[in-house]
Amino acid sequence: MTDVRVVGVGMTDFGVHEQPLPELFADAAFEAFDDAGVEGADVDAFYLGNAMGGQTERDTHLAPTLATHIGIAGVPCQRYEDACATSSNAFKHAVRAVEAGDHDVVLVGGVERCTPVTGLDTPEMTSVFASAAHRQYEQPTGLTFPGVFGLLTTRHMHEYGTTEEDLAAVAVKNHRHGTLNPRAQFGKEISVDDVLEGPVVASPFRLMDCCPFSDGAAAVVVTSDELAETFDGEPVGVSGIGHATDVIPLADKADLTATRSARDAASEAYEAAGIGPDELDVVEVHDCFTGAEVLAIEALDLVEDGEGGRAAVEGTTALEGRIPVNPSGGLKAKGHPIGATGVAQLVELTEQLRGDAGRRQVEGAERALAHNLGGDAATTVVTILEGMA
Amino acid sequence: MSATSDDDRANEVLTHAEWAAALADGELLGQRCSDCGHETAAPKAACARCGSRSLETVSLPTEGVVYSETTVAVAPAGFEGGYRVAVIDLGEARVLARLEGDAGIGDSVEFVGPLEDGEEPAPLFA
Ligand SMILES: [Zn+2]
Repeated sequence: MTDVRVVGVGMTDFGVHEQPLPELFADAAFEAFDDAGVEGADVDAFYLGNAMGGQTERDTHLAPTLATHIGIAGVPCQRYEDACATSSNAFKHAVRAVEAGDHDVVLVGGVERCTPVTGLDTPEMTSVFASAAHRQYEQPTGLTFPGVFGLLTTRHMHEYGTTEEDLAAVAVKNHRHGTLNPRAQFGKEISVDDVLEGPVVASPFRLMDCCPFSDGAAAVVVTSDELAETFDGEPVGVSGIGHATDVIPLADKADLTATRSARDAASEAYEAAGIGPDELDVVEVHDCFTGAEVLAIEALDLVEDGEGGRAAVEGTTALEGRIPVNPSGGLKAKGHPIGATGVAQLVELTEQLRGDAGRRQVEGAERALAHNLGGDAATTVVTILEGMA
Repeated sequence: MSATSDDDRANEVLTHAEWAAALADGELLGQRCSDCGHETAAPKAACARCGSRSLETVSLPTEGVVYSETTVAVAPAGFEGGYRVAVIDLGEARVLARLEGDAGIGDSVEFVGPLEDGEEPAPLFA
């Protein structure tokens, strides 16, 4: 089977962007084209992640619109929607298409605008986010997305003694990493007290336990190992992808703290890559809330079950720790434009594996993992990349 | 093949409309899978654990224990923040519900009827 390489990456700053979606996406896509050294005419398919454009912007059938805007009209285009795991699912299918020989050079991207400045106000956007919960059996209770992870995390605190201070340490770490990332939405260090003094959003989460509303776009160019040599961008290998789902609504989950889909996706990805968690050098996880990072690092087997809460406190997951988690600042500090998030994780990891991550570089990183989770952990995609140098 | 004959196996359909109407009348309905025994408070066309279509409609217990809870301060449009949402363990099934009072994980709570706040019904425990 064909091995797949990432040969070009690009992303916008995450934060507030007044540009319409096509203009915002073009900034990321052309950066990826230029990094790879490809022209639009070289691209033979487009895989897009956009989760909520129909609800937030009254804008659907976006893939051909964006393709036209960047000069690749006519190629097969498809758009994915899997809540926050949207664009890593687009990436998975692009990789499969190259492996199968269906396409040679594929653009994968994600774009979304979620800030109140450029779109809907906070109550409306909270509703849009909550629409990933079960329409009949969850939404009528008034459950929000912070509330979903509040339920999972409160249970973790009960079972393992995880504290609000443990959660705050995740925010402090990721904000510190974010200060080293010029594209991050938040560039300021915070303290545990700053987090604990903030207003509650959904218990146990306070404002700084939560990722922000963000606008942004990210893009990568993928191709076969054979063709990768003909492009300019230093190639990074795709060594394994896992993709799994779990039941909705969350009350029917067998275990609230396991994030079962993440465990299943991780097993699949580790097996495909032929490595275990001990062999990873750097990881990006889906820290939409501080508690989500705690659950993620346990699900990925980076720490034992029940020890996720102590990892940030003890420095295990810091940039200089045993296994650096979210050197980009994560969703928490870098920002979380829903449909762009999965591909943005891969942009970060590609730069880490190329040694191009500047002040947040994990020295000598050779193997990297991205964990992108959607909904109440009902979807997770895990991707393992490796350096080719 | 199951040991029971087809005649013994439930093949009951429970629609959301029927579930909501029962809830409005103060009864919490659910389903039990004839094949694996899994119970749910969120009716489906097939069992979420084993895929079986052989489902029986059951009346769920009105007493349960808080399994997890959150207080939602920042609410979606149409809701006033400051309420609690909880997963209630009913023994075999678990249900997502609105929770009144200050019960925490492990505390006993009781089904008190439908939540009157929203446009659509949700179970209320206290
Ligand atoms: Zn079953």
